[in-house]
Amino acid sequence: MHTELNALESQSDELALLGLMQLVSPALPIGAFAFSQGLESAFELDWVRDEASLAEWLSGVLEDGLTRCELPVLARLHQAFGQADSETASATVATWDEWLAATRETAELAAEDSRLGASLKRLLSSLDLLPSDQQLPSEDSLTPLLPHQAGYVTLFAYTAHLRGVSVRQTLLGFAWAWLENQLAVACKALPLGHTAAQRVIEQLRPALVDAVNQALTLEDDELGPVLPGLALASALHETQYSRLFRS
Amino acid sequence: MMLCDIAKSPLASGHRFDQGRHWAASLDLRFAQRDGVTRMVQARHQGPLRVQRPFYPEGRSEACHVYVLHPPGGLVSGDALTISAHVAGGAHALLTTPAANKLYKADSQGVAWTQHTRLSVEDGATLEWLPQETIAFDGSKGEQRTHIELHGSARCLGWEVMALGRPASDLPYVSGRIEQHFRLTLDGKPLWLERQPLDPLHPRFAGRWGQGGATVQATLWAVGIEDAPAAIEALREALPDNARWAVTIRHGVLLLRYLGNSRNEAWALCEQAWQLLRPLWIERDAHTPRIWLT
Repeated sequence: MHTELNALESQSDELALLGLMQLVSPALPIGAFAFSQGLESAFELDWVRDEASLAEWLSGVLEDGLTRCELPVLARLHQAFGQADSETASATVATWDEWLAATRETAELAAEDSRLGASLKRLLSSLDLLPSDQQLPSEDSLTPLLPHQAGYVTLFAYTAHLRGVSVRQTLLGFAWAWLENQLAVACKALPLGHTAAQRVIEQLRPALVDAVNQALTLEDDELGPVLPGLALASALHETQYSRLFRS
Repeated sequence: MMLCDIAKSPLASGHRFDQGRHWAASLDLRFAQRDGVTRMVQARHQGPLRVQRPFYPEGRSEACHVYVLHPPGGLVSGDALTISAHVAGGAHALLTTPAANKLYKADSQGVAWTQHTRLSVEDGATLEWLPQETIAFDGSKGEQRTHIELHGSARCLGWEVMALGRPASDLPYVSGRIEQHFRLTLDGKPLWLERQPLDPLHPRFAGRWGQGGATVQATLWAVGIEDAPAAIEALREALPDNARWAVTIRHGVLLLRYLGNSRNEAWALCEQAWQLLRPLWIERDAHTPRIWLT
């Protein structure tokens, strides 16, 4: 009996792990590869020009961006999706979804969030992972409602919760997907060699864990990205002459 | 005009130099339209914050111009300044200051100052918030919050220009901590949230993702421009072509940001942007407040 329970438990853990790997895979067809989050502009401005300056830029964005913004909000959203009182939870989800949208510094960063959110929602819907009542409030709805135009972070939290991924692993997965995507941008546009990209991963792997630890300790009034340089670069990208990426 | 409610409490006298040092000053302005004229219907103040008599350099039926005065000229440890302005439907107010606002070095106790600005604009009202720059002296510690509450079709344009240190005297900002917050809501929903902790000892102060070593920064916001793409196009055409500033629009809020090292460059950029935007925004030519020229 005991071993049977253990076996069931480990099976659900394994399914959660696979669900997370599926969600953070570059093969997930939501078009994340099309966005650089200001990095392409940083190349153009010569702010990032090689492996060392790339690692510095990414460490900075991780600490002053993800750690204070996406990661702690992801944790709050994940917890809200797990709440039984779906009315309160829906309000919490809507609040953080709005908060995230309001912190997006530029047109391209705002568009990236809403486009990836819409793509992920479409994908979930075509995999029948989106309850049909998700658009309409109903009394017997067990999951909190997704806001009408929920952003990527909100959809990411929703999917991770659905797949039974723990809060910590959800945050780690999100940070990992961000790092891999940024390095793919660098390999394509800088260009950075693939081995050099792996060296940057080796260097930043512990920083991802630190970022998650830090993100989980922040209070609401400590949140908010502090990326004035990235904001400037991203707004300049709107008029960049030659560009491969949409942000 | 009504300049009333001078409240003086012994606690607010500021004659303390310990951790409890606190000198509060507040100004609460309300504007409303009466018979086609924007009137300043309330100007309550407490402590050293005043307004000059409103005037109408653009004509009686046009914007009501008001100078906000802070006679001490700057903030020291323990100062708590609160400026609120409310503009009712149909009214149009333009607020500015006669001089730069200085943020002095924190006292030996490291006590911070606070400056809160609350701008509330009703449906059909217009507010321009165009203060002169803020100069932070080395060692200054404090928090500057700007809350903009818009309703319905409210129109609001404003800026904050912040210069760190005093380059002319070769006194850079190498210690201290200033936290700048912006919060803009429309009918209660947040559209723009931003925070800028300015800490010269933090890696982001020099890092390219952060301040990039910039000692002067400016942020201009505008809400209510009908043809925003045309406005952005006009700004990009006319303003100097360099990578120290950029403009964007998200969630209906136009944001122009500057990161550089020149107070004059930042100020010229904001002033020129305002001159270009005003006709597109409210179909009025910019009328430069004379106090800026003195």
